[in-house]
Amino acid sequence: MPITSPSDLCWKVKFPSGQEWIESTVHAAIKRVWLRAQNTARSQFGDESLAVEMMEVAIEKLVRRMSEGSPADPAEAGHLLLRFYAQEARRRRNANRKLVLLGLSAELPSASVQNPFLPVDSALDLEVILHGTPPEVRMALLLRHSRTRWSEVAEILGTSEASIRVRCQRALKKIRQRLGIGENGT
Amino acid sequence: MTVVAIDPIRKEAVAEHRPFSNDDENDTLLFEKLEEHILAHYPNPERIGCPDPATLKKFADTPRVVGLPDLNDLHIFKCAECTRTLMELRKQREQAKPL
Repeated sequence: MPITSPSDLCWKVKFPSGQEWIESTVHAAIKRVWLRAQNTARSQFGDESLAVEMMEVAIEKLVRRMSEGSPADPAEAGHLLLRFYAQEARRRRNANRKLVLLGLSAELPSASVQNPFLPVDSALDLEVILHGTPPEVRMALLLRHSRTRWSEVAEILGTSEASIRVRCQRALKKIRQRLGIGENGT
Repeated sequence: MTVVAIDPIRKEAVAEHRPFSNDDENDTLLFEKLEEHILAHYPNPERIGCPDPATLKKFADTPRVVGLPDLNDLHIFKCAECTRTLMELRKQREQAKPL
């Protein structure tokens, strides 16, 4: 997973004007808990990259709480951030539990079948890959598809290049997998 | 001779920071493959759901003024015709650039 800075994680948070201290406190809190958050995502979900999404939710809650007046101390903010992060992790675990698995993989037909609906399936696949991605990520991918460089994409969307690449990373990874190309371009 | 200890965690983090080592910094290869994939798998000769040509041109020329709803969200990713149009517009834009 690429190195993620507090700014990358806060890219969609609107910090209240006149309360600049909130941003610096949140950044400090993120630095305190980020490694632990990644470890949690890895151990509980087997996917470290989920830490970004869960942390973003936690950050939004923290900023809302802080704009109401507390806490002001980075250590305290760190504790609160971890608590919100744990809440989000719990919410996701519960949501995952609701999935019901039917049958065994061995029961699936193993022979490759000529599929007349291949184009339709492809469309569905790409829709699945990009389902639920935030509008900014969708717009960024469309812009890059129209051969706008990442630096220009970032400028158009009013963010940094590193940030938008982090935001798009998951979708890009899935598209690579879908297209059957490795990360080394093969 | 100086012996430098390499922190394995940091080494891993640095290695992971180069996610697409053989692609360039703009993931050009990925988007070229995606373009080929769309052209091959998403024919839309009846242009169902396509944004109008003026919107596509605006998106190619001044993307800042075009929003997702104007483009029918991710329609372009499911439409060989729109992708082809974008390719042509892009070519025109590049040819029009001063040398």
